[in-house]
Amino acid sequence: MINTNIFKEKNFIGLFLFIFVISSCSSMNVTEEVVYDGGIRTVEASIKEDSTLDYETKAIFTNATVYFDFDKFNLNSKSLQTLKSAVSAMKDNESIKITIAGHADERGTREYNLALGQRRAEAVKDYFLLNGISSSRVSVKSYGEEQPVAYGSNEESYAKNRRAEIN
Amino acid sequence: MKKQLFILLLMMQSISSELMLEITKGSDDPYSVAILNFSGSEDVSRTIQGVIINDLKRTGEFRVLEENQLLSSPSAEDEINYDDFKLLNIDYIVMASIIEEDANNLYASYKIFSVKKKLQIRTSKVFGIPNKLRQLAHYMSDGIYEEITGIKGVASTRLLYVTEEIFNEESSFKLIVADADGLNEQILLRSTEPIISPSWSPDSKKVAYVSFETGVAKVFIQDIASGEREMVLENNFQISSPSWSPNGKFLSLTLYQDGNAEIYILNLKNKNLTRLTNHYSIDTESSWSPNGSKIMFTSGRSGSPQLYEINLRKFNSKPTRITFDGNYNAKGSYLPNGEGIIFVHRKDRSFQIALKYFNENFVRPLTNSKLDESPSISPNGNVIVYAISEDGVSLLSGVTLSGARFRLPLKNGEVREPSWSGFLR
Repeated sequence: MINTNIFKEKNFIGLFLFIFVISSCSSMNVTEEVVYDGGIRTVEASIKEDSTLDYETKAIFTNATVYFDFDKFNLNSKSLQTLKSAVSAMKDNESIKITIAGHADERGTREYNLALGQRRAEAVKDYFLLNGISSSRVSVKSYGEEQPVAYGSNEESYAKNRRAEIN
Repeated sequence: MKKQLFILLLMMQSISSELMLEITKGSDDPYSVAILNFSGSEDVSRTIQGVIINDLKRTGEFRVLEENQLLSSPSAEDEINYDDFKLLNIDYIVMASIIEEDANNLYASYKIFSVKKKLQIRTSKVFGIPNKLRQLAHYMSDGIYEEITGIKGVASTRLLYVTEEIFNEESSFKLIVADADGLNEQILLRSTEPIISPSWSPDSKKVAYVSFETGVAKVFIQDIASGEREMVLENNFQISSPSWSPNGKFLSLTLYQDGNAEIYILNLKNKNLTRLTNHYSIDTESSWSPNGSKIMFTSGRSGSPQLYEINLRKFNSKPTRITFDGNYNAKGSYLPNGEGIIFVHRKDRSFQIALKYFNENFVRPLTNSKLDESPSISPNGNVIVYAISEDGVSLLSGVTLSGARFRLPLKNGEVREPSWSGFLR
C-alpha cells in the first residue's frame, strides 16, 4: 500500500492591518489603503511505495495494454485477444489481483480525459467480470492525460496514449 | 536535517524559473496616460514606476508615455501646462512620490489629473509592507486603472497554476501561486505525482486541487497561509474536479463511486453529500454561477462532450443543454456578471477558448492555437488566462475581452492549469 508523508517547510507569516477608506470631496476621489499580505507556506507531498507487493506473480501482466479510439472506451478485437490471455492467467492463479489504469491523449480537457480514462479502465474491468473474475480482484483508476507514454502532438503519439494498462 | 532542507528549499526558490511577460497585441482604442517620474529615492521609485507601467500595458487598454516622450515635465499641480499633454493626445497624467520614513515604513502618494477637465481627479495613499515594493506598485496600478476605466483592476490579484519539470526522467510537479504579472512565484505544494484542477476559495485564502499523490485522484483543500491541508473525502474512490460555491460553504465534486463520473455537492461543514447528476455517461467539470443558483457541467450524454446547466433553486430540476455548436464543448465557467460563459470549444481539429453570451445564439472564438485549455477569468471579468501547447510544451497565455493578448511563458518546464484568484485588495 501507499503511505503519505507530509512535511511542512518554510513559513512566511504576515500580519498586516487592512484599511481601506474612500471619501469624496468636490468630485475628487481620495483613498488610503494598506497593502495586505497573508503569507504562504510550502507543503511537500511525497509517496512511499510499499515494496512487499508480489511483483513476480504479476510480471505476466507487465505489458498488458489495450488501446482505444478518440473519445471512445469500447474494446476492439485486438484488445479482446490481449485480455483473453490475462483472464486465463488469473483463472490459473487465484491469488493474482490486478489494477487497471485508464489513460487518454492530450486533446480535450483534463477532467473530461480523467473521466474518459476511468471509463476505459471500467470497460476492461467489465470484461474480466463477464469472464468470471471476481470484482474483488480487480481495481480501477485513471490518470487521464497526465501520464503519456508518447510525447508528440500527432496521431501516432495520441494512439499510444489512449490506453488501459493492466498491472 | 530540517535546517538543511530549509536552505535547500531557499536555494531552489531563488533558481526557480519566472514567468516572462510578453504583450503580443493591444486594444485598438487605448487610454493615453502620461506617467511622470516618481519622486523619492531613485532605485525604489524606478522599480515601482516600472511595475506600474508594465501592469497598465498588460491590460492592453493603455498607451503609456514616460517623461522622455513628453513636451514638459511638471513636478507639481501648478506647473502642469495641460496644452502640452493635449497636443500629444494624452488623456490622463499620473504624478507620484514614494516616501520612505524609515526602513520599515514606506508609502506612496499619487495623484491623477484629467487633461480634458484640466483638473485633479484623484489623490491616493498606499501604505506598503517592507520588502514588498511590487505589491505596493500593484495597488497603485489598480487605483489608476479603476479611476480611469471605472472597473476594478486585477494587478493586485494572484494566479494559481501547476508546473511540471523533468529531471533525470523524473517528473516534479508544483502548485504555485504568483502575482497576476507572473512574478513573485511561491510554491504551495511540491509532489512527484500529477496535480490538476486547482481552484481558489471565494475569499482567496484557500485552494482546492486534485493530487495523485496517493496513487489515485483525490481532492484536497489547503490553507495558503498555514499550509494546513485535508483530503475532503476519505474513501476508496477517485474524486476530482473541485469547484467552490460563491458563499464558500459547498464544494461541487466529481465522484467515481459507481465507476462513472457523477457530480455531487459536498457541504464543507457537515460533510453531507448531495448527488446532482445521475446518468451512465460522463458528467464532470462542474462550476457555479456567480449568484450560486446554477451549476454548469460537461456531460457526454448526447454522444459528445457538451455543456449543461442545472437550476439549484428548483427541486428535481433536469439538466438543460446550453451548447450546440460543434462536437466538443467542455470545462465551462461563468463570467463574473453571469451574462455568459467561457469554455473549451473544438473547431475543426483545434481546441480553442470560446465565449458565449446568453443573449446571443453564436459562439465567439477568443483564441486560435491548436490545443488551448483550462480557461480562467479575472475577477473583474476583463481578462482570460488559459494554457496553450507550443512544440509540445504548455505555457500560459492571456486575452482581454477588449482584444489584447499576452503570454506568460515559463523558461524551463511546463506551466498549465491557471486559476485566477478573487480580488485581494
